[in-house]
Amino acid sequence: MTAARDRNEAYAHGLLEVARGEGNLADIEDDLFRFARALDGSDELRMALTDLALPVGRRLAVVEQLLGVGALAASTGLISLIVAAGHAGDLPAIVERFVELAAAERQRDFAEVRSAIPLDDAQTERLAEALGRATGKIVEVKVVVDPSVLGGIIARVGDTVIDGTVRHRLEQLKEQV
Amino acid sequence: MRIRTLLAAGLLALVAVVSLPHAASAADPGTSDGQALVTCVQKALKDNQAEIAKKQYTNFTNALNDCNKAPSLFAPAASELIWGTIAFIIVAFALMKYAFPALRKTLHARTEKIRGDLEGAERAREEAEEQRRQYEAKLGEARSEATRIVESAHQDAERLRQELMARAEADAAEARARAQDDIRLATDRAMGDLRTRVAGLSIDLAERIVERSLDRETQQALVESYIDAVGTSGNGHG
Repeated sequence: MTAARDRNEAYAHGLLEVARGEGNLADIEDDLFRFARALDGSDELRMALTDLALPVGRRLAVVEQLLGVGALAASTGLISLIVAAGHAGDLPAIVERFVELAAAERQRDFAEVRSAIPLDDAQTERLAEALGRATGKIVEVKVVVDPSVLGGIIARVGDTVIDGTVRHRLEQLKEQV
Repeated sequence: MRIRTLLAAGLLALVAVVSLPHAASAADPGTSDGQALVTCVQKALKDNQAEIAKKQYTNFTNALNDCNKAPSLFAPAASELIWGTIAFIIVAFALMKYAFPALRKTLHARTEKIRGDLEGAERAREEAEEQRRQYEAKLGEARSEATRIVESAHQDAERLRQELMARAEADAAEARARAQDDIRLATDRAMGDLRTRVAGLSIDLAERIVERSLDRETQQALVESYIDAVGTSGNGHG
């Protein structure tokens, strides 16, 4: 476990260095974050990319097909590097640590926000401010649209979780019942 | 043996006493017995002289027969009495000299023996009495001990019965309590399972209802509400 964590840490630092070298840290960060969330939310995709019996070329083709033309070439290259190395299963953790390192470089804390609907920029900005007041930190928000929360928002800043989703309320209601 | 010898001597002396007067009178017809016979005959002649003269001899004959009768045993002749007395003295002397001491000695020994036997018998009786008392005492002790043992056994049996009853009641109570606990646990578990399933079904149903009822505006309202709540109350939603 420690070896995997060390490896993920090393990959996260590597991604940060490459993104910084490319001079487009924010866009690469967005590409990697979206791909990691997609991988996190799709069992089929995760099984395909983590299947070592599948030829590397096939797995990389899946990555290129998924990212499409909208993503930066650097982003595709970085993700392909991790998948080709056989660490696709660790990609969400690597990306999350990479995002945290990038936010820290900007003197900010990373907040992962899940919402049933997309947030507009104004909502995202107000949410970042609210989370900053709540945690006493300067927070940088990345929103993941997750219909499983049914409604509302859940935000995680470091070890702090603020859950205001309908799913959470139903779970609480279930516990009370 | 000595008794028999003494009895033989006594019998010999008695025979001598009885026979000596008769021997004296037979050996001397002219003694007092003969004179008495003559006198008796003379008196018979004199008394029946008139009848003899009439040649009637009946009473005279009877008188003669009376004269020929033996003298009285209790009123012997004087000679017999003298000889008898002398023989008695001799025999008495012989008896006092020889037979009585031996007889006295024998009687004394016999008396002593009987006394010893009686004393022995008394001692034996006393010993037997003592043994009887001891036996009765031991018997009484044994009876008391037996009574005590029986009483103790009764008490032990009663105590054991009470203990067994108490233990049985405790076991029964424990079994009842355990059964009631089991029933309560099973009921609670069943109720919990039922509650969980009902809750799950209710939540599933609520999810579907909420999912359908959450339109765009409601979603936006929830987002705004969340942002406001986080901004005002910090991590109160956590």
